[in-house]
Amino acid sequence: MAGKASATPATYSPSPTGHRKKRPPTLTDSDWIRPDGRTVHQCRPAFLRTGAVNSASGSAYAEFGNTKVIVSVFGPRESKKAMMYSDTGRLNCNVSYTNFATPNRSQAPEPKDLSSMLHKALEGAIILKSFPKTTVDVFALVLESGGSDLPVITTCASLALADAGIMLYDMVASVSVSCYGKNLLIDPVSEEESYQDGSLLITCMPSRNEVTQMTVTGDWSTPKIHEAMQLCLDACSKLGKIMRTSLKESASCPHD
Amino acid sequence: MKETEEENFVTPGEVLGKASEFKAGKGAYVSPHDKTVYASLTGFRSITPPPVDSDDPRPTVEVTGHKAHGPVPEPGAIVIARVTKVMAKMASADIMCVGSKSVREKFTGIIRQQDVRATEIDKVEMHSSFRPGDIVRALVLSLGDARAYYLSTAKNELGVVSAESAAGGTMVPISWTEMQCPSTGQIEQRKVAKIGA
Repeated sequence: MAGKASATPATYSPSPTGHRKKRPPTLTDSDWIRPDGRTVHQCRPAFLRTGAVNSASGSAYAEFGNTKVIVSVFGPRESKKAMMYSDTGRLNCNVSYTNFATPNRSQAPEPKDLSSMLHKALEGAIILKSFPKTTVDVFALVLESGGSDLPVITTCASLALADAGIMLYDMVASVSVSCYGKNLLIDPVSEEESYQDGSLLITCMPSRNEVTQMTVTGDWSTPKIHEAMQLCLDACSKLGKIMRTSLKESASCPHD
Repeated sequence: MKETEEENFVTPGEVLGKASEFKAGKGAYVSPHDKTVYASLTGFRSITPPPVDSDDPRPTVEVTGHKAHGPVPEPGAIVIARVTKVMAKMASADIMCVGSKSVREKFTGIIRQQDVRATEIDKVEMHSSFRPGDIVRALVLSLGDARAYYLSTAKNELGVVSAESAAGGTMVPISWTEMQCPSTGQIEQRKVAKIGA
């Protein structure tokens, strides 16, 4: 998979919402530099590639900082005999962590939770009635968990589905925001996630401006949620552009 | 030339046009609430003018698949299948090709007694029509039930295309209902497909 230098930047950051409300200046404010050198409203550079797995119908590899995920899509293929007949297609998601993904095993989240969340995020974007009676299997493998895992998994899975030729309503981009005191940190790393007060995850279809999944944990005030949503949606639309560019690039340089 | 290609390369969710100006073809869909045609596949955008005799003046915009998913049997498609089981009232077959493309993973289909041929359908003997291992060309009748697609060989050009005799040689068709082994001369009964003109 030879890399090609792209003209569009691989980093993306949402426009700051500072013009609406002035946050009271604290020690940890918008000029706070995070451990990896980013500002609070800057996301990690995204590296996306399709066609990582030859034997799958479609696949994608995503690397956002230290979070590395590979997703393979199989299908549409015959549903298991035990399943009931259905007029629309079915989606089956499976997320698993490798043994070496986290520094210690106990940090790996429950794979069943992530699988069902990935399912909810993706099922709104796939045109299920285009493949009745069959199943599309999505297998996500997290090679390294560096924080903000589910958004990276969702983004990578959407790219893999597009690579597999499954009919989609739109690409799906996902970004999460961590709340720490009065500050919002976008695209947190695992260290920042461990001391967060709350998190907000948004999965949206950027071109159609529709949200397929929103997950909020922790303590949030309404204006905070609005601000976090704005940040996420802005970042998602930029991530959407990067995803489209990577699809175009992989199509124009055929893999050997 | 490369520039126009890049302009026409679309990804899922990109706007292809307005629903008032275009009809959505393959790889595109219309969103009802904002009346726009979006792409649903990755590929090149192509516009085909409307057929002459239709009363809809809009041209069709479609996405010619740069990559399409593996073929899936659809009602009305001609498939090539290998017979796996022959029972009293039906034969089970694994669908291996849809049209001219081979599938990535096989689908299961069944040919019922009444769908083997067009005439005298109640007097059909399944064992004289198919044997396990035969390659048949069939038509997909419907999606069937949860377990299998319903196939039919009730046409002249449908039926057994290639079969092996008991002795192991590839048989040669000699009539609508018989095939002969070239090495032993044994004649076996099959529902033979008429290939060619």
